[in-house]
Amino acid sequence: MEETNFVLLWKEHYEKIDQSLAINRQLLKEVISQKTESAIQSFIRFKVRGITAAVIYLSLLGIVLFYAIAHYSSSGNYFILSIGAIFLINVKALYDYIKHLVWTNNIDYNGSITEIQQQLTKLQLSVLRHSRFMVLQFPFWTTFYLSGKWFPHSVSWGYIIFQFLLTASFTFLAYWLYKNQTMENANKKWVKTFIEGSGGKSILKAIAFYKELETFKQVS
Amino acid sequence: MTKILNPDLFLSVIETNKGIIYKVANSYCKDPEDRQDLVQEIVLKLWKSFDSYDEQFKHSTWIYRIALNTAISFYRKEKSRKEIAEPFSEGLLYTADFENNKQTEESSFFLHQFIAELKELDKALMLLYLEEKSHKEMAEIIGITETNVATKIGRIKTILKYKFSQL
Repeated sequence: MEETNFVLLWKEHYEKIDQSLAINRQLLKEVISQKTESAIQSFIRFKVRGITAAVIYLSLLGIVLFYAIAHYSSSGNYFILSIGAIFLINVKALYDYIKHLVWTNNIDYNGSITEIQQQLTKLQLSVLRHSRFMVLQFPFWTTFYLSGKWFPHSVSWGYIIFQFLLTASFTFLAYWLYKNQTMENANKKWVKTFIEGSGGKSILKAIAFYKELETFKQVS
Repeated sequence: MTKILNPDLFLSVIETNKGIIYKVANSYCKDPEDRQDLVQEIVLKLWKSFDSYDEQFKHSTWIYRIALNTAISFYRKEKSRKEIAEPFSEGLLYTADFENNKQTEESSFFLHQFIAELKELDKALMLLYLEEKSHKEMAEIIGITETNVATKIGRIKTILKYKFSQL
């Protein structure tokens, strides 16, 4: 097929459509007055549900932490430090998440395709950084239940060794995941499985698209 | 403060350029319901950006940029990817008295199918080529050099020609 025919074919196809194409002005007015919910709005609403759940979770942690501090006794040190660390890590993650969500929503799409898509993809990939940060709380889930009343002096050596190995392995796991769960490693099977398992298929798509963008920009 | 004072101007710009929105949505989104969502999202993004519209660019360039950026982002989120677009259902944009798929020629059908199979960015480039945009305008909209535009268009056309030759 000759190259001019592609253009002709396209024109012929849309000529009749162009003539009959109509716009629902009432609906258009509703859209610009934001009365109608668009896909992006429902996307944000979905995220808001997630944020609300996170806020409730943080509030519960906060209440428990506040109670422990208000009724302080040295036996609660492990609990206060562990829950405090979990609380702070989750607050930081939620803050970053909301910040990026606001940035994403405020991007003006009036820019070149490669520039805007790169910005959007980078923002989407920032979720990867959030999930990396979240793994740092793992070791604290192995220490919050300890009490100064009975640990370490009232337990057997066996338990102390068990507790040490448990916390050390979770610390190592957290460190390893934090260090290796990066965009550069995104092609590795375990990273893909981990991201997919955390409901992050869109992240994998974003990584693939980011690479596609980089290739696209090059003259070859 | 154009957008506060001039919603009528915005409506008339959309009315004049509705074909662009239709073609972009039709090329990127195959499911009729999702496509109406995409049209709505494009219009909303255009409205949000109307305020900062830079008059040194043509309205069509501005609309292409926003529509394509919205469509590419939307396309990545879309779960199901059908090969061929179904007709536009009733919504913000609709085709009155026109049965799209019934009257479509075979070649046109395949052209759309082959375009649908292209990568998102190549698809954007091909859409602009078929709309007979100059290399300069395509480079401005896509954000690559004119030389790169020419190279890529040549390559995409070769792929399309090959696919047609295999029919």
